[in-house]
Amino acid sequence: MASDPLSVSIDFETSHLFFPHIVHWVLAGLFALILVTKVVPFLAAVKRGERTLPIIGESRDSARFFGTLALISAYFYLMAVVGDLFPYTGYGFLFVSMAFVLAMSLMYLHEWTKKALIIVVINAIVAPTLAWFVLAKLFTITLP
Amino acid sequence: MEFLTFIDLSFLMLVSFGTLVGIIFGAIPGMTATMAVAVCLPLTYALGLNHGLALLLGLYVGGISGGMVPAVLLNIPGTPSSITTTFDGYPMAQKGEGEKALRVCVIASLVGGLVSALVLFLFAPLLADFSIKFSYVEKFLIILLALSVIASLSSSMLIGIFSGVIGIWLSLIGDYSVSDGGNGHTRLMFDFMEPYLFEGFSLLPVLIGIFGISTILLEAEKGVKRDMAGERIKIGKEGGFSLSIFKGSFTNLTRSSFIGTFVGMLPGVGGSAASVLAYTQEKNLAKDSSQMGKGAPQGLIASESANNALTGGALIPLLSLGIPGDSTTAVLIGAFTLQGIQVGPLFIPENHDTWYVMMTALVLANFIMFGLMFFAIKHIAKVVMVPKHILYPLIVMMCVVGAYAINYGIMFDVWTLLIFGVLGYLIQKIGLEVAPLIIGFILGSQAEVYFVKSLESFGTYSIFFTKSPIAMVLWGLIAASVLFAIVMGFKSRARQKVELSQMHDPSHTDSGAHHDSRND
Repeated sequence: MASDPLSVSIDFETSHLFFPHIVHWVLAGLFALILVTKVVPFLAAVKRGERTLPIIGESRDSARFFGTLALISAYFYLMAVVGDLFPYTGYGFLFVSMAFVLAMSLMYLHEWTKKALIIVVINAIVAPTLAWFVLAKLFTITLP
Repeated sequence: MEFLTFIDLSFLMLVSFGTLVGIIFGAIPGMTATMAVAVCLPLTYALGLNHGLALLLGLYVGGISGGMVPAVLLNIPGTPSSITTTFDGYPMAQKGEGEKALRVCVIASLVGGLVSALVLFLFAPLLADFSIKFSYVEKFLIILLALSVIASLSSSMLIGIFSGVIGIWLSLIGDYSVSDGGNGHTRLMFDFMEPYLFEGFSLLPVLIGIFGISTILLEAEKGVKRDMAGERIKIGKEGGFSLSIFKGSFTNLTRSSFIGTFVGMLPGVGGSAASVLAYTQEKNLAKDSSQMGKGAPQGLIASESANNALTGGALIPLLSLGIPGDSTTAVLIGAFTLQGIQVGPLFIPENHDTWYVMMTALVLANFIMFGLMFFAIKHIAKVVMVPKHILYPLIVMMCVVGAYAINYGIMFDVWTLLIFGVLGYLIQKIGLEVAPLIIGFILGSQAEVYFVKSLESFGTYSIFFTKSPIAMVLWGLIAASVLFAIVMGFKSRARQKVELSQMHDPSHTDSGAHHDSRND
């Protein structure tokens, strides 16, 4: 078997790196291929003004996009903080969800009419309460 | 018949509830069956396996069929798989035949769903029986085959493979688990990440993040437009529907259902591929296809029977090989893992009752879908009007519950949502494909174990070619799928050249056929 060019022996101590190593080479190879066949022609087209770069070159509702990211981050962070104040109750989830649902709804709402606002507020109170009640109380699922 | 004891009133209620919620998710443009299953997963934590499956299968069937509602009424496919339903459905709705069109769709969906359930019932145990003898070598090759099939059916094979390998890479983060015969060392991360990522990313938060959060980010970027506002939904006059519409469409129904089932079986191939294929086949093979695209029921029949037939088809590789057929079944894998059940060749022989319960739930879900949609379609149609500013925060909230509760309260799993939400957004933005990535992520760690163990025991790479006749057949299939992709690539390039020379033709958007091969 020693003369077999395909023979291989795997050292147990480093066996956790064996497959990732191969994956890295495959990834690098594929990336190089994509670079040559897709990215370079694409960039050339961008230069000629035929295409636009994704993300950077596109028009975007920046306020809503980054607002969403910020709100979600704050939501996740505060949930844990408030949840630690009331351990094993799910209140962290309940209260922070209310604030989050309200804030996100308002951010996405285009026309602030009285009727729309009332619906948004009711939704922000009722929906998290319902979710909290069904999941934490009825189904006894762990919530922050 | 022991499994009948599992089927009680709550079972029926859960299937119905799941189907209804699924239809609603499917009917709201931008929400899909995958999202429905992902968002409702936390509800199954408290349910047993059988009841959980009842809910999830209902969601799956409902979610896939719900897409017909906005497709017909608003010309927006509610799910990618209902893209071809818009071609004939919307013209009919404009003529005031919306209700008739929807009812045709509902019946076609029912037939598609039942045919695929039958194929699943007959075929999955056979495939499982066959694959039970597979050793690590064949199992590795099966995964390789699955990935090459996904890649070859992506819009670009290269991109598809690349996405799949990225998925594999992501799955390797964490330790090389001792329980899989590894040495327990971690890799692909910095030391400070070890407390969070010792076992790698949890599957479900990853899936929920990619399908839930990234969808919302993509919508937020567009400013969460109220695309439905101001548009009155015209469902059209009562009646006009009779079963005679289906006269002469037996071939169409059967053909489309089988196309849907077959496409569903191919891993990672989305619903749009199934319905587009069925639609074009009907167009090519029907005696009279002149009315198709202008409001012909035959187009609806082809599209809807094919996309509902996906459900049974996608469950075949899941239950017999442990390989998900589409992104929704990928989430279902998570649900099984949650209940401590490993899907694979041993699933059906070892869980006979669960298997029958699943089949019952699947068939029931189809009938309930039929009942709900056929008789209450007028009311269901209204959900397409639910404003997104109400809906999206609730989806984020449910995603959080799903992620947090999965490992009994780990905050890092919630952050995983955001990490993969952003990643999923970037992936879709730069043109990589989500479906292969997810399948790669799910199968990656198994692929590693099979690959390394095969080499450890045989000591040569050549074993992958010479182990058994099955291995050689699998290599043949892999080669065939790659070849198929290359041929198709040349064909579409030639077609693009023709199109370019004819300049832009503003008629039908068949873009769904090209880059909508995901089913997220």
